[in-house]
Amino acid sequence: MADNTNTMIDPKIFQYLQAHAEEQTEVGDKLTQIITGFNRHISTAQGHLSRIHATPLQKLGPLLSQVESEGIKPAIESIGELNKFASNYPYYKYNFRWRSAVQNLIYVMLITAWLGGLSSESKPGELGRLLRIEEIGEILKVPVNLEDRDAFHITIEEYILALTDLTDELSRLAMNSVTMGNIDLTVRISQFIKDLFAGFQLLNLKNDIVRKRIDAVKYHVKKVEDVIYDLSLRNLIPKAAEQV
Amino acid sequence: MPGGVKRDYRGNKKDLPVRDAPRNEYTSMFEGFRDELDKHHDRREKIVKVSRDVTALSKKIIFSLQRVRKLNQPLPDNIVKENEERMSEIKSMLATIVDDVSGIRRYRYNLMCLEEFVEAISFAYYLEHQRLITPETMQSTLGDVNIPFTANDYVYGLFDLTGEMMRFATTVTALTGSIPTGVAAGAEDVQTGADAPRNILGDLQDISSMLQLMQLNDRTYFKKKDVMIEQVRKVERVGYGVTVRGNERPKGWMPDMNEDAGHHDDGSAE
Repeated sequence: MADNTNTMIDPKIFQYLQAHAEEQTEVGDKLTQIITGFNRHISTAQGHLSRIHATPLQKLGPLLSQVESEGIKPAIESIGELNKFASNYPYYKYNFRWRSAVQNLIYVMLITAWLGGLSSESKPGELGRLLRIEEIGEILKVPVNLEDRDAFHITIEEYILALTDLTDELSRLAMNSVTMGNIDLTVRISQFIKDLFAGFQLLNLKNDIVRKRIDAVKYHVKKVEDVIYDLSLRNLIPKAAEQV
Repeated sequence: MPGGVKRDYRGNKKDLPVRDAPRNEYTSMFEGFRDELDKHHDRREKIVKVSRDVTALSKKIIFSLQRVRKLNQPLPDNIVKENEERMSEIKSMLATIVDDVSGIRRYRYNLMCLEEFVEAISFAYYLEHQRLITPETMQSTLGDVNIPFTANDYVYGLFDLTGEMMRFATTVTALTGSIPTGVAAGAEDVQTGADAPRNILGDLQDISSMLQLMQLNDRTYFKKKDVMIEQVRKVERVGYGVTVRGNERPKGWMPDMNEDAGHHDDGSAE
């Protein structure tokens, strides 16, 4: 039977499609704006952090404060803006836009805290401190690993990927620390990376980016072990440090 | 080396050998991550399986519909019956993953089958009513299976619909010597001054221009748009051919369907 109206397309359909296209464009533009600023703050932090390889541990304090005030603090504001805006839309529809930025920020926070920065009243800064995902969430003031409602949050994958960035960077520092004469720090990094490596091995991984990045951690371990080997061969490792 | 999940030949998980590495400060944290990631991977696997089956059933619905020869008429009983069975199978399969794709998880997992499903249902709806199905009507075909279609499921399903329309138009034109056209408008339409019955070429051109006007900004959209435009052009050539020299062709003469089959994404025409 013929329909009453002789048109193929209900105008409501076109309106629906237009609204969808407009939302996608508007959300995309706004996210670009927020994420551009966000990435700038992270680059600032990473720029300062590149100097850890040439700065003795005792002099790291001012450097880390700079990372916090010029990089992490404004980045937290960006995350706040992102949280507020992105929570209006399905999380997994747009999260590919900010995934790597968030991962980079987590990494910046992890290394800053590990080197003794990011102290708070309840948790004083301390060398070798690993920020847990919950602590990251508290500092950023966003939920982590959200399942029961659809809003912005930090995912476990982002945190795990940031951990592999951390082992990468610390393996580099292990070597440079020897050059700067701080063998204790090298030994300490070695133990930390081995502990994380043991943890990574507990995960059942699929063929995805997480697996690819975790597979690389063994090279970070090897890099540090080679340094430790060079040192022990020449009896350069202090007895006390060996027991750490 | 971190290991993947060991599986037997049926794909079931084998128990992993017990690892007795010494525990350290971070062991329990990683155990927590492992549990979360396992849940995620299991869910994804379950969804992929269902999605594959629903896609296959949707394709079968489309094959049946390509045997229809008339536009804007009730579908033949045997086809309706076959497809109702497939529909109820699809619904019961989708019902098993409602929880896995609910709430925040709706966009987390790729439910490609819904695009295929939209293609099948919108094609059936078009053949019967010669109209484009609305998103609401589309959603209602799932009944109480609470999986909302996303706008992209709907849009990309419609892009694929144009491919089915092209195939239908080409075949029916070849077999009958005229381009598929709706039935004559009723008295009511004459009063409202509606035009003569529409044919499938005009309908394709309408959908095509609507989908081009909406302008999404992603790669899938651009790719599907190019394919669609080519399909419309093909039916335009069919319409021209039948207008100019329609009666010269013997009935049942089939054009070479393979000539630009490469333009279609899944090659399901053959």
